[in-house]
Amino acid sequence: MKRVDVLVGQIPLATLLVLGATMSVLSEHFLTPLNLSNVLVQSAVISVVAMGMTFVILAGGFDLSVGSTVALAGCVAAAVMMQAGIVAGVGAGVAIGALVGALNGFVVTVLRVNPFITTLGTMVLVRGAVFLFSDSQQVPIEGSLPQGFIDFGVERFLGIHWLVWVPVVLLAALSWVLGKTPYGRAVYATGGNREAAYLSGIRTGWIVASTYVWSGALAGVAGVMLASRLQSGQPTAGEFYELTAIAAVVLGGAALHGGEGRLYKTVIGVFIMVVLGNGLNLLNVDSHWQRVAVGLVIIAAAAADQLRHRR
Amino acid sequence: MARIAAFGVGKRFGATVALDGVDFDVTAGEVHALVGENGAGKSTLIRIFGGVQRADRGEIRVDGRLVHFRSPAAAFAAGIATIQQELRVVPALSVAENVMLGHLPSRGPAVDERRLRQRAGEALERLRVALDLDAPVTQLTFAERQAVTIARALSRDARVLILDEPTAALEEREVESLFQVIGRLRAEGVAILYVSHRLEEIARIADRCSVMRDGRVVAEMRRGAFVVDDLVRHMLGRELEPASHAAASPGEVVLRSPELELRRGAITGLAGLLGSGTSSLLRRLFSPPARAIRKGIGLVPGERAASLVQGHSVRDNIVLPSLRRFGWFARMDDRAADAVARELIAALDIRPGDPNAPVGSLSGGNQQKVVLARWLAARVGVLLMDEPTQGIDVAAKAQIHRLMREFAAGGGAVLFASSELRELVELSERIVAMRRGHVAATLERGRCGEREVREAIA
Repeated sequence: MKRVDVLVGQIPLATLLVLGATMSVLSEHFLTPLNLSNVLVQSAVISVVAMGMTFVILAGGFDLSVGSTVALAGCVAAAVMMQAGIVAGVGAGVAIGALVGALNGFVVTVLRVNPFITTLGTMVLVRGAVFLFSDSQQVPIEGSLPQGFIDFGVERFLGIHWLVWVPVVLLAALSWVLGKTPYGRAVYATGGNREAAYLSGIRTGWIVASTYVWSGALAGVAGVMLASRLQSGQPTAGEFYELTAIAAVVLGGAALHGGEGRLYKTVIGVFIMVVLGNGLNLLNVDSHWQRVAVGLVIIAAAAADQLRHRR
Repeated sequence: MARIAAFGVGKRFGATVALDGVDFDVTAGEVHALVGENGAGKSTLIRIFGGVQRADRGEIRVDGRLVHFRSPAAAFAAGIATIQQELRVVPALSVAENVMLGHLPSRGPAVDERRLRQRAGEALERLRVALDLDAPVTQLTFAERQAVTIARALSRDARVLILDEPTAALEEREVESLFQVIGRLRAEGVAILYVSHRLEEIARIADRCSVMRDGRVVAEMRRGAFVVDDLVRHMLGRELEPASHAAASPGEVVLRSPELELRRGAITGLAGLLGSGTSSLLRRLFSPPARAIRKGIGLVPGERAASLVQGHSVRDNIVLPSLRRFGWFARMDDRAADAVARELIAALDIRPGDPNAPVGSLSGGNQQKVVLARWLAARVGVLLMDEPTQGIDVAAKAQIHRLMREFAAGGGAVLFASSELRELVELSERIVAMRRGHVAATLERGRCGEREVREAIA
């Protein structure tokens, strides 16, 4: 029984390895330093979003608004940066993300609106706000962002892109928060059985709301990273990121009803998504077929989630 | 001849042997009771009869014919109906629709309302239960919903009725009417398999009683040939130690509300029928939970499902209310948490004794001990308990009683609500009787027997 559980727990990693091996057999370009570096950079931004999504799903919620928040944070960060410098810009981007998260948390916990509907609403609302804020243009329209910020999106540290270091550091810090602090235990308990957590004296409303703030703030960080890579804030950025992030969390083996899941496995889930897309690109598979493939993978992962919990 | 019979039925779950060659049958017009501790194999046997699980070996025969049920629907179609503890009713539908669920009479594509009402009415009539056929099922009491599910079985010509702990959530008066229903069905020739922890009931209504232990039937006795103590001895495989009465003199008041006051060292009982307000009084005294816990109050709620995170480990469940003590964003001391959990697992005899075992894999009695352990870990001084021994086996019940006494003897105050009058009278220094949300009477020890309490709450 226990051994089975251990094996089931390693399914995400095994999937990634099999996928990687298959791709390297099918395409000679897959296992090259250039391509692997591409995979890392492509994974970096979405990893940060998916980590925030993990917080929300662990506590039993759901967040569809992160893609729009990525765009909003990127545009706000770029605009503030032009006026007040890099630090203020980055801070503004993360703060506006946290603010969207706080709004989600408020509506979900105080007004008790279903998380799916709440974040569907903020997803549309925030996307509209970005277009209004940026006048449907990239930010800035003229001139360019501070050189230091642009360098961050291009340059490397110890041979690895700065952009990739961000999720590495966040993964270490947030794994500690979730795994080692009483706050983390409270998040797991709230998602596992909210009533039980509440009757154990945990302020479950605050815990749930806090996970949306994490998700929003991390989407803010991702938005800033993306702005640095695109050298501008783009109002159309981050489309479908919420879906990729949710898929990654599920592929990482987290339970959609909350209470079970690990942050590092979510990152493995992100890699599965990115490697799949990258590999299919290298194999010149039609982009519409790629979507079909990704959709099938998401459904398969959710079905596996169901099977695992029926045992 | 036996209506339903198991011959040499075996079932394993991984390394655990749930059933080990069970022979068991129920004949027409008989109430055959099945008792045993949690984990003895009763549930597995009735799940196999009901088509939920399949036996690894052995035979199941219905009216002498070999059957292999592939689904609960197949068993139901063969006339075997199981009434679970959690009643299967659809809240959005009416009484009549719930009775006829699964085979609504139709006229063309539409439901035939007239025949629906007529046939549902007939089924309820057989039970002599008068219910408004058009009422939404949500307006019904638990006992009435139970009648609806039994009527559903009858409307499908069930000839074997399996009742799993049917009285666990009933008041005494409702138990009486259920027994009348059972008596009528028996007279009509229905074979009834009756699973219960309440041994007094079984001594009253069972024609035959089988005792299971460790996946086997260890004793089978006819009506009149057994008393409750025999059953307990067979279930445990040993005698049950008598509970000791060490009444400490009550100390200072630690919790005061308009309804009652709780003193150090005293166990107070809370008596009342379902809906009399005992549960809501306990919840009110424990509200909001975070503040109540800071004041040293712990609650053991009535539904165990509401108190434990099933997928998480025994340890994580035990330290849950104590998390605050570790500081929210400080590093959690895993070794300290582990030590606390191990100590309480040993003290409360929680089995299995592995702090990492998922709490959902424990039996009901052991889960209840985990709920108790968490409040001991949080070092509360007041324990509020709602039906602390409901649905758990005799041995675990005796242990919970002992722990309650020890907690009080150690200077704690206990307030517990129970629908079992005997338990109330045995444990309590004082019994607060509630009726329609108000305290109807307060009875001191020595001046209250089961009869006085029954009168006070009626």
